[in-house]
Amino acid sequence: MTTKRLSIQRYLPEQRKTPFRQEFDVPFDDSTSILEALNHIKEEIDGSLSYRWSCRMAICGSCGMMVNDEPKLGCKSFLREYPGTIKIEPLAHFPVQKDLIIDMEIFLEHLAAVQPYLINDSGESTETHRQTPAQLAKYLKFSDCINCGLCYSACPQFGLNPEFLGPAALTLAHRYNLDSRDQGKQQRMPQLNREEGVWTCTFVGYCSEVCPKSVDPAAAVNQGKVESAKDLLISLFKR
Amino acid sequence: MTKHVGYVPEMKRNWWLKNRYFMAYMAREATVLPLVFFIGCLLAGLYCLLQGQESWLTWLEFMQNPLTIAVNLLAFVASLFHAWTFFQLFPRVMPLRVGGRAIPAKWIILGQWCGVLLVMVLFAWIFGRGV
Repeated sequence: MTTKRLSIQRYLPEQRKTPFRQEFDVPFDDSTSILEALNHIKEEIDGSLSYRWSCRMAICGSCGMMVNDEPKLGCKSFLREYPGTIKIEPLAHFPVQKDLIIDMEIFLEHLAAVQPYLINDSGESTETHRQTPAQLAKYLKFSDCINCGLCYSACPQFGLNPEFLGPAALTLAHRYNLDSRDQGKQQRMPQLNREEGVWTCTFVGYCSEVCPKSVDPAAAVNQGKVESAKDLLISLFKR
Repeated sequence: MTKHVGYVPEMKRNWWLKNRYFMAYMAREATVLPLVFFIGCLLAGLYCLLQGQESWLTWLEFMQNPLTIAVNLLAFVASLFHAWTFFQLFPRVMPLRVGGRAIPAKWIILGQWCGVLLVMVLFAWIFGRGV
């Protein structure tokens, strides 16, 4: 079995104030993922290496990290895809707590702000919500978000201004606004309309490139601009 | 906002040189620079027209300067490049539907280029008649 060199950014706040690099050689074959390589390091070489992971099948969104400067899921990226030394760092634009573990608090705050769940006070609570395939098709492609945060690391606007609600939160807001079962659009629009809402996005588009579930947040956020403009016009006539 | 504990990475000024998507984005945004020059030329032309014949002839001479022509040609290419990028993005921002069915993105893009062609033909017809 051949080996591959991983250059990992370490951050051990109890030892040093700034991050440093550490290199590890790990055995690999065609099926070895970055996450498995990290597990090998932790189990066999250096037990102090810290990172997050859970499902190993690209659905929990825990193992987001920068691989050769690109936001990736560790379990969905394989060593065979990278010639030479692989550079691994924590997800960009987030504060780092330890090694590859980032503080996602701001992401969760932004997510909560847009109320990403069905808001529907009508009818009996036990009643089944009916939806046609055409109604489902309107929001379906925006509903696969796994909250991994990769799009935030790909977004320079979020990097420059962490107050920006960001791609995932705005995509989920749009996804629920498009849902025929939802009645919460008026509650979400003030968040989309504010300066750190949809209008901070300048459509760099990299968020959609890195999304491991092909959600296309850039499209959702910019469709949100159309909705925001419509909301403003309607509010002008309502006065 | 919650106060974070830990190392906060710095975003450097050259962030846009990190990968080709950021560079393509900056190229799209930079198309505005030669276009500002072109608009400046147009506004100066209008001003010179109001000032009289001598001023107008000076402007005409300025417009025939090879450097002015080169920058304006660059502005033309930049506007076409910006249109190309904008037309690619448009179907993602405004997914059009007819009778409940989504119009394919390539048709929307083709429609926009047909619009550009129509405007160019219209301009050629309006300004070409006197030649």
